[in-house]
Amino acid sequence: MPPADSINGLSFPTVADAALAGNPSEIEREVIELFEQFRDPLLRYALSLGIPVHDAEEVIQEVFLSLFRHLQLRRSRKNLRGWIFRVAHNLALKKLFANQRSHAKTTSDWTIAEEPFDPSPGPEEQLSSAQRRHRLLAVVHALPEADQGCLRLRAEGLRYREIAAVLGISLGAVSISLTRSLARLIRADGR
Amino acid sequence: MLSKDGHLSDVHVSDQEMLLAVDGELSTRRAADVRAHLAACWGCRARMAEIEATIADFARTHRQTLDPQLPPIAGPRALLRARLAETASKREVGSWWILHFTSASRAAALLCAAVLIAAMVGRILANQSTLRGTSSIGAAFEPSALPDSRLTPGATRRVSITDVCSMAHEEVVGEVSTPLRHEVFREYGIVNAHPEDYEVDYLIAPGLGGAEDIHNLWPEPYTSRTWNAHVKDALEERLHDMVCGGQLDLSTAQRDIAADWIAAYKKYFHTDRPLVLHSRLESVNVVGVGGVQPAPRQAQ
Repeated sequence: MPPADSINGLSFPTVADAALAGNPSEIEREVIELFEQFRDPLLRYALSLGIPVHDAEEVIQEVFLSLFRHLQLRRSRKNLRGWIFRVAHNLALKKLFANQRSHAKTTSDWTIAEEPFDPSPGPEEQLSSAQRRHRLLAVVHALPEADQGCLRLRAEGLRYREIAAVLGISLGAVSISLTRSLARLIRADGR
Repeated sequence: MLSKDGHLSDVHVSDQEMLLAVDGELSTRRAADVRAHLAACWGCRARMAEIEATIADFARTHRQTLDPQLPPIAGPRALLRARLAETASKREVGSWWILHFTSASRAAALLCAAVLIAAMVGRILANQSTLRGTSSIGAAFEPSALPDSRLTPGATRRVSITDVCSMAHEEVVGEVSTPLRHEVFREYGIVNAHPEDYEVDYLIAPGLGGAEDIHNLWPEPYTSRTWNAHVKDALEERLHDMVCGGQLDLSTAQRDIAADWIAAYKKYFHTDRPLVLHSRLESVNVVGVGGVQPAPRQAQ
């Protein structure tokens, strides 16, 4: 529910809508709905940064507890998806640095061995598909981290403006990064 | 592609523009131009197909490699529900004075309590004559809410946006060392300072790249005021959010908060007074309270 008074995304408490602040159950329901909507994309993003599943789940719990406090304090509701991903990104990096687990990235992240085979194609097609995927993953892993972040956030449906806010880079930098990454992927695939 | 005069142009569409087009990031007019060019150019259409096929490959790989690792949502959702309920109950206890503010009778009672507290604190402060003095800044209004700009102009350390935004603002506030605290008190001419009377506060918060440097620290009384440390904390959090959200560059945030943090609060919250939620209970105490003003120190 949007705040009654809002200027440039800032919300100001008023007596009329103060009841909202006193009605945490409504905010709780809203947070749970957002959790259901964004938990999987956030978890995929956190995993792709190289965080183990249980840590990633904990990061996401923290994100939604922060969101709860954010809404209780009647702060801006402008682009909550962008806000959620930005907080998740910050907390995930913090967890990554704290655990010093960056070396585990390739084992917990995109490993071809963990991919399920699609049963429909024949064995040769399966092999070819797996090889292509393997090649694609190798190219992605070789990209600068910011470029990987842009690709993964775009894959989760974020708009360029949201990606720019999450990663703290400009809109133009997002566009250039995605173009550069796709050009490399196309080259690697021999298209 | 259509040129400005409306004729087909021989200039092909760049990869960047094709990607912007498929991602829906071009203006309506520019997108129409790109579509028109693609309709007429086999080469660009083939390139567009490569881009789209690669996007599809990447998106499929992204999902296929990560989805099998995702545990069912039911458990985490139940855990979050429980945590939210716990957080909500704590907040109800901690924020009773905000939540009940809509009641006129309770608001009146709160006002009376505030006046009483103001009177009591005022008397206590009036007795602390040894700490009284004059300040060169903001003498007419809460002088100690602002630091002496000659002594505390603000100091920053070298940080990147990633450094600043990789953790929540409140998690990067460090403890000022005791020797440095004493040095700050000495510079501000405060003798026999009790730790419970002052917070040695950062002018530019560490979460905004502020340094633990005597030029970035000043003794901020814990005395209840309109423009108190809680309000400044809210400003710091707001600036941190804006910087990390790409709405404000870090150097502007540092410059504004160092120049006059009260003016910065007014600017970024669009208000002349602290918002109710940013002031704590003691901040109601603004009428008739004498300030704890440090003795003037020698300007350096």
